[in-house]
Amino acid sequence: MLRFIVRRLLITIPTILVVITLTWGLVRLAPGNFYSGEKKIPPAIEKNIREKYGLDKPWYQQYGRTMWAIIRHGDFGTSLKYQGQSVNAIIARSLPVSAIIGILAYLLALIVGVVVGSIAALKQNSRWDYASMALAMLGISIPNFVLGPILVLIFSLSLYWLPPSRWAGFPSRNVILPVLTLSGIYMAYIARLTRAGMLEVLRSDYIRTARSKGLTERDVVVRHALRGGLMPVVSYTGPALAFLLTGTVVVERLFALPGLGNYFIQAALNRDEPLIIGIVAFIAVTLLTMNLLVDIAYAYLDPRIRY
Amino acid sequence: MREVYLRQLIAGVILVALSILSTSCGASGKSEIFFGKVVPPSTNILRYVNGDEPESLDPPMSSGQPEARIFMALYEGLVEYHPKTLVPIPAIAERWLENNDSSEFVFHLRHNARWSNGEPITANDFVYSIRRGLSPELASRSASLAYYMKYAKAYNSGAVFVKDSTTNQFVLEKDVAEHPVQDTTQPLSERSLTPGEAEYKTSADESKMAEDSPFHQFMHSPARLTLPGSEKARAKEIAKNPKLQAAISGKDFLPVSAEDVGIEAVDDYTLRISLAQSAPFFLGLLAHQFFRVVPRKVIEQYGVHWTDPAHIVTSGAFRVKAWKPYSELVVERNPMYWDVANVGLDEIHFYQTSDNPTAMNLYKVGEADAVLNHTVPIAWLDVVKPKKDYMDGAEAAIVYVIMNVTRPPLNDLRVRKAFNMAVDKVTYSQARRITKPLSAFTPEGIFVGYPQPKSDGFDPEQARKLLGEAGFPVTPKAGGGYECKSFPIDQVEYIFNTQSSNKTMAEFLQAQWSQNLGITVPLRSMEFKTFLDVRSKLEYKGFALGLWGADYMDPFTFLSLFYTPTGDNGSGWWDQKYADLLDEANTNLDKRKRYELLARAEKYLLDAQPIIPIETTAVNWVKKPYVKGLYPNAGGLYPWKFVYIEREPSKWDYGIPSLTD
Repeated sequence: MLRFIVRRLLITIPTILVVITLTWGLVRLAPGNFYSGEKKIPPAIEKNIREKYGLDKPWYQQYGRTMWAIIRHGDFGTSLKYQGQSVNAIIARSLPVSAIIGILAYLLALIVGVVVGSIAALKQNSRWDYASMALAMLGISIPNFVLGPILVLIFSLSLYWLPPSRWAGFPSRNVILPVLTLSGIYMAYIARLTRAGMLEVLRSDYIRTARSKGLTERDVVVRHALRGGLMPVVSYTGPALAFLLTGTVVVERLFALPGLGNYFIQAALNRDEPLIIGIVAFIAVTLLTMNLLVDIAYAYLDPRIRY
Repeated sequence: MREVYLRQLIAGVILVALSILSTSCGASGKSEIFFGKVVPPSTNILRYVNGDEPESLDPPMSSGQPEARIFMALYEGLVEYHPKTLVPIPAIAERWLENNDSSEFVFHLRHNARWSNGEPITANDFVYSIRRGLSPELASRSASLAYYMKYAKAYNSGAVFVKDSTTNQFVLEKDVAEHPVQDTTQPLSERSLTPGEAEYKTSADESKMAEDSPFHQFMHSPARLTLPGSEKARAKEIAKNPKLQAAISGKDFLPVSAEDVGIEAVDDYTLRISLAQSAPFFLGLLAHQFFRVVPRKVIEQYGVHWTDPAHIVTSGAFRVKAWKPYSELVVERNPMYWDVANVGLDEIHFYQTSDNPTAMNLYKVGEADAVLNHTVPIAWLDVVKPKKDYMDGAEAAIVYVIMNVTRPPLNDLRVRKAFNMAVDKVTYSQARRITKPLSAFTPEGIFVGYPQPKSDGFDPEQARKLLGEAGFPVTPKAGGGYECKSFPIDQVEYIFNTQSSNKTMAEFLQAQWSQNLGITVPLRSMEFKTFLDVRSKLEYKGFALGLWGADYMDPFTFLSLFYTPTGDNGSGWWDQKYADLLDEANTNLDKRKRYELLARAEKYLLDAQPIIPIETTAVNWVKKPYVKGLYPNAGGLYPWKFVYIEREPSKWDYGIPSLTD
């Protein structure tokens, strides 16, 4: 197990470096610059800007300098668009916002999804099963850029119960609508995954064994069936949580949240190279870590898996 | 049985959804005179949705409109925009003098202007702020706004003077000019004045306040020659002009320094700005953020972090209270401000969101008191436009189509004219609902007294004739419509940046040209920065979308686009005669005569047709009726010190407040 973790961690480092290099290259290939705008800049001023930010140097020097700062100090530099703000500080500031919304949404999705999915599986082909799966289908089919405005229309613009957008810290009422919007699709997925996983497990031999041992139905479901039935949900959790943690562009824009996703999309549109690289690297690290955690969780949940 | 149940369920869900939607529509009822909740706040706080995240709180370092509005709260300049007309009004400069050909200005600063830390603001602070803005190391994007000032461009681009070390004489521009220069054609600021000759039309004691000085003499001397600072660029320029080569041989190059720029603190409260040309519009430019005063001590102490809330010192009616990036900037009344008694608001909360429906939602539920310009989506106009809190009015901005005149078939004037005449701009504006059709290159109804010329109107018959003369005959097609078989359709396209309103316009143009000329121009949409890149490098064939907003309230801010062949021109069209006409206009001090000359230049441009005018855009936004002193002016810029909250409903704005009284 330990050897497995160490090996995975060692692979992570070159992966991240490749990701950074690719991002660096792609930003350069995109037409336009961070300083290009509606009104054209005279050549003399363009020259001043390029000198100030070291863009007049040969590309390998620029690349070397960027990489060295990242490897040596973990420093992604300063945003080109937002004067004087370091990329690390921007990430540190916006991550909590994305993470709070993301984790709350996932927790909500997990609780509702697992409960609904389990009920559906245990009462297969009942009206509960059909009702919950129909709702889940609806949840999967409605994208969050539709769900969000509908929720805002109902709860803010018509009933005036909840604020329609903006971040007011945590906890606050402002959190409710983005969390609901974000969790919708995950809730639906988890319900379906749970149902499918549970159905498969409930028919398996070891459940029959557990039942024949004379365990109560409650013990069978909670101690044996659920553990195995949740495997698909666990493998889904890794990447899902990584994306939720690092911000979801649509929801953050819709609700004007100062999260990582908002910065990410804006950085790409602004050609803000250090910020793009910083956020991409951060997302890559998060994704790889989550996948590793999922693999470890597998071993705990399924006694048959050994690394 | 199962299926029946499922169907019932779906029907139920749809019913519930529909009933909720219908009640919500009812709640926003059409009988309400305002859009959404109207509850005046108990405090004097304005919550304003300001658009994109500010790039920086350092005035010369960001050029966007959201920042411009923030800077109007935090920093003051010599002059400020009038809240209704945007013409310059006194700010830190109490009054000013303009010399006889608008090439030099003297400002008398008020003695009670103070920084937010209580220290006095003097003429030296302005000298510092503008020199700093122009320094190549700062690399401000807006620096070219100050290029009208003497040696400003040379300093900003790192140019050098040429000096003879034996005689201590500088080589002058006229020494190497290809044609001899008449002294009298030079602006006053470059001429030495004979004693007794009055440069300013003013009373004797006023002119005494701006005494002569060695620097003033230096400004009033013939322009020195400046050459590029980099050896490579210099060698190229020298190679072009043999006279130049001879004049500079054996001489030294001396970098143009900040001290050479045409701005001088005559005394603590007198500031003199010398220009390299006549620029009657220069005063209007001075309200721009680039020219606003910034605190030297704080900048020198903290460098790029001087704008951190803990360090920042401001000169305007407000100071920074809190800054939550990507969320809000809170500014509060600056107790040190010279006119603090007349500042109506205690705080302004600038909210950041660039999503229009999000901004409108905040407004509707009463969490924002006003929103920025262009926030009401077209689809919402039916509901919002009839309300008494909807603001609209003409905007100092235009939409047009640029043509790449360097490539056939659009290098033929007749073809360009045909494409212009084949577009019905009136119908387009009617469809857009709030804009005005445009037939010139300056916006309609913005510059009072400007005799705006008109280009050719909608005339498809004439358009087909012109195309025929150019060798592309248009023939009626069987079953209606036209066709133009010989037109090289693969040589043209229309490019625009991806945005729904741009797409609507593109499709309209395509339909018009196809209907009236039988030519279906392919459309290509691009990501914004890619589009700008392609357009400025003339890498497109045919047509490109053009948008332009005024930098200052003068027709020249539009006409100057074609003053040079590069920059924002985008068409490849350039004509010396056009540039000469503009120069002639700008040296003319009589406003009416100047406007006539500018209009002649504009007519000349329209006749050459490198562009197809489409529309004058309109401002469209909403503000709660209790927000007073905020006007739908043509630039979307608001001097916040005049804004206040009115709690007495009888004094509210019911409708658009007048811009003229």
